[in-house]
Amino acid sequence: MSEEHSGRSGPRILVFSTNSISDPGIDLAGSAHMHYQPGVVTIPVPCSSGIRPTWVLHAIEAGFDGVFIAADGTDCALVPDCTKRTGKIVDAAQKLLKEHGHDPRRLKMAAICSVCAESFVSHMEKLSTDLERLNS
Amino acid sequence: MNYDVLVVGGGIAGMESALNLGDMGYKVLLVEKEPSIGGKMILLSKVFPTLDCASCISTPKMAGTSHHPNITMMVHSEPESIVPREDGRFQVRVRNHTNYVNPSACTGCGECTLACTVASPDQYNADLVLKRAAHIPFPQAVPKKAVIERAGTSPCSFACPAGVKAHGYIALVRAGRYDEAFALHLEDAPLVGSLSRACYAPCEGNCTRGGLEAPLSIRGVKRFLADNYYAAHPEPEYGPVEKRSGKKIAVVGSGPAGLSAAYFLAKEGHDVTILEAAPAPGGMLRYGIPAYRLPREVLDRDIKNVTALGVTIQVNQRVKSVKTLLQGGFDSVFLSVGTRESQKLRVPGEDLEGVIGCMEFLSAANAGQIASLKDKSVIVIGGGNSAIDPARLALRLGAAKVTILYRRTRSEMPAHDWEVQAALEEGVHLAELRSPLQFRGESGRLQGLEAQQMRLGEPDASGRRKPVPVDGAIETIPADLAIVSIGLKPSTAGFAAELACQKNGRLEVNDQTLETSVSGIFAGGDAVTGPSMIVQAIGQGHRAAFYINHYLQGNDLASQVFNDRLPAVNKEEVLIREQGATLRPRASLHEMAPAERVRGIVEVEQGFTEEQARAEASRCLDCGVCSECSACVRACPSSAIDLSLRDREIEVDVGAVVMASGFKLFNARAKKSLGYGRFPNVIDAMQMDRIIAPTRPYNSVLRPSDGKVPDNIAYVLCTGSRDCTLDNRLCSRVCCMYSLKQAQLIMGAVPLADITIYFIDIRAFGKGYEEFYQQARDMGVSFVKGKVAQIDQEENGNLSLTYEDIEGGGGRRKASHDLVVLSVGLLANPVSAGLFASGQLGLDPFSYVREPEEDLEPGRTNIPGVFVAGTAAGIRDIPDTILHSGAAAAQTAAYLQSMRSRV
Repeated sequence: MSEEHSGRSGPRILVFSTNSISDPGIDLAGSAHMHYQPGVVTIPVPCSSGIRPTWVLHAIEAGFDGVFIAADGTDCALVPDCTKRTGKIVDAAQKLLKEHGHDPRRLKMAAICSVCAESFVSHMEKLSTDLERLNS
Repeated sequence: MNYDVLVVGGGIAGMESALNLGDMGYKVLLVEKEPSIGGKMILLSKVFPTLDCASCISTPKMAGTSHHPNITMMVHSEPESIVPREDGRFQVRVRNHTNYVNPSACTGCGECTLACTVASPDQYNADLVLKRAAHIPFPQAVPKKAVIERAGTSPCSFACPAGVKAHGYIALVRAGRYDEAFALHLEDAPLVGSLSRACYAPCEGNCTRGGLEAPLSIRGVKRFLADNYYAAHPEPEYGPVEKRSGKKIAVVGSGPAGLSAAYFLAKEGHDVTILEAAPAPGGMLRYGIPAYRLPREVLDRDIKNVTALGVTIQVNQRVKSVKTLLQGGFDSVFLSVGTRESQKLRVPGEDLEGVIGCMEFLSAANAGQIASLKDKSVIVIGGGNSAIDPARLALRLGAAKVTILYRRTRSEMPAHDWEVQAALEEGVHLAELRSPLQFRGESGRLQGLEAQQMRLGEPDASGRRKPVPVDGAIETIPADLAIVSIGLKPSTAGFAAELACQKNGRLEVNDQTLETSVSGIFAGGDAVTGPSMIVQAIGQGHRAAFYINHYLQGNDLASQVFNDRLPAVNKEEVLIREQGATLRPRASLHEMAPAERVRGIVEVEQGFTEEQARAEASRCLDCGVCSECSACVRACPSSAIDLSLRDREIEVDVGAVVMASGFKLFNARAKKSLGYGRFPNVIDAMQMDRIIAPTRPYNSVLRPSDGKVPDNIAYVLCTGSRDCTLDNRLCSRVCCMYSLKQAQLIMGAVPLADITIYFIDIRAFGKGYEEFYQQARDMGVSFVKGKVAQIDQEENGNLSLTYEDIEGGGGRRKASHDLVVLSVGLLANPVSAGLFASGQLGLDPFSYVREPEEDLEPGRTNIPGVFVAGTAAGIRDIPDTILHSGAAAAQTAAYLQSMRSRV
């Protein structure tokens, strides 16, 4: 499925962001007119530790080349160990991807703060390059 | 560096051209002279005819330009020359002005602006309010980086031989930050207390305020900050530096030069030992300057600033050989032995008991070895500072009569005039035009001095009139003590065998590095320069420490630059800028009455109170704008500020050029009859646009004179345009519309205000413009057809307009308003043509960049490859500027394509 490109330039990436922290940072990249891959789509969720590993598998099987979880690092006011929790989700999701014959490197996670626009753009660039290599 | 296009100017035209060309795939270099792009448009309130917020529509362009992958922005930069080459490309030299801030570290947080101690007019708010020297240009600045405004080094700081930042500590005292002021002084000179008592203050002599009512009492303010700090901190708050270098340095002599060198070397982590021949440290500070000028407690506390760093001072150590010091384990030596020997008169009787050199007298007296001179008659021979101190000291020791003998007159005496004055007030006699012939004695003891009367003859080589003996006029002056103060000699006789010396005994050193003829041995202070001032010696010690430090690291000395400063500010320019300053009298340090002073050895001068010190510091004109107080450097969380950064020149190679250098606003001062610059409540339209802009300077629409919210506002159209008397007969095309825009916005902000627009014609020619004009009429704006001939000021700050009433029956009328806004015209920017060789870039008769085929090939200039966008080619409004920029971009792209396909 990941071989099916819809004729668009560059890989399709699904980003899970968090409502309060990482999504504002990603939004800032847009309003600052920063250039990143057009194939990036974002779904904001309340908490990255609520992401189900099965969603990641579904995304890859539905046609996305890669999934990026924009977690909160230490910035979340409610949960101090976001990285640990979300890391567990990532482990489970990557296991699931492997079991279904997909490369677990299609899933990446990083902490994106509410002003980390440049950081987000560079993550997208790096992930796109990695995905292009995987697809070829 | 190589680009396809150079765009000159980052206003709306420059940004639009750059974005168009960048989107087409060309590599663009955008050069903007201000520290932020956005031009004039970002400073506006709203735009006509849509009343869109100017920030809202231009900030996306600004962000887009900043982050476009094909656009490189160079802000705070100006092209200096553009030279077309034979291959069709252009060689460009760009000057980048430094912000004194490292742009990759600065986050635009604004902490520096809160710490800055200097205010200056805010040019982005049309000078309506003040900003700080450390500032972010405006809230929407792209890039949002701090800028430190510096006009140069302030004259006071520049005059200091030790490089002490006088302006910096004055600004900190003005802000009530006394401890920071003390710390700033320590950065350049450790002997703060001694300088505050005895420095001759060249800074005060150079103070620009001296051109108004009187220079600042800089030394007085220094004394306040020193006394204040020492009272609260009897010991220094620091100890030796943690990181040790393992190097050992010997400093010979503990005078100001030696103490200063030891201080700065110890701060680098070196182990410093000072070897002092006398029983106590301080050199001239202790043994030359009497305690009534420099109290011993102050000197001792100053010396603690040095010893707290771990510097050891060994007293009663006379050094005979410097080379043995080097062999004995010291890695380097600094010689600062000073001028401790008095020059001899070489007349008969000089070896009589009772004849003494000035240094021997002062040393003995200052060490407490002369108990009393009661009933004694004292003569001091000489006319320099080294004569005044012994004379005044002799009086305090009880001498019955003290006379200074000088071979010329008082006006030729080299001593500071205020010191001579003080001596005379205290009762010292001055015997002018007397030259000593011989000392007369009995049984080896001095009885008197035979002196020759002189008169002033022709000037000698130094320009001073040579004293000539008056034949036969010889007198004998009785004296118990004669002090010879005709000059001082360096105490370097012992080193003559090892080091190169000049004929007068002064050590020979490299002027820049202060290294002697022996590698590793440096020298400074009076032993090198001859008798000088404390602050000069301190400067020498600092310089030597800098070069010794480099020597110890094995660096080449000649290539290290010590104390690189910006050029001094032009005082005349500052005085012109500060014409409106309120004159306030100078606070002088109070001195005890002369009769009181001689009762004992008590400090003559009294310091300022806190109120006096702050009031005096508030007289500072901030000549260089930034005071170099470094409060911003300390406040910055990412250490982004670096005052040692300098402008750079960059060469680039570009394929084409787009001139988008914009326009200049008419300065309404030139139209004298309208009172701009004379009457506070006559403002221009740029000021009004700022007043109603979203990031406005005040919370509402105010008038400048008293802050009243105006309710009867007049607009005077065509100010500076359509005016042959001002050599600008063109219509500025946008003023009618922007005046209608402002009128509508004011009616929203101040609903009760009446607005009257005085016009010749209303030019509302564009799409939606006529409707916009009707909208203004419907809102209740009054229109009066008639040119305003003159504006006069009424008592309460209101203005009386004399105008012609064309539609209302004709004739001359007067009307009263409480605020007048002059709708100023737009003029050509004179910079544009200057970038090319003289006459190369064609201009039209009104100095706009000429488009040879304006109607059919807009954007093209007479130079192939050079194009023009926006108001640089002629006044136009924002929608037309966008169109024109698109045209220029298309022309540029076509040119670049044609050049590529040529190959």
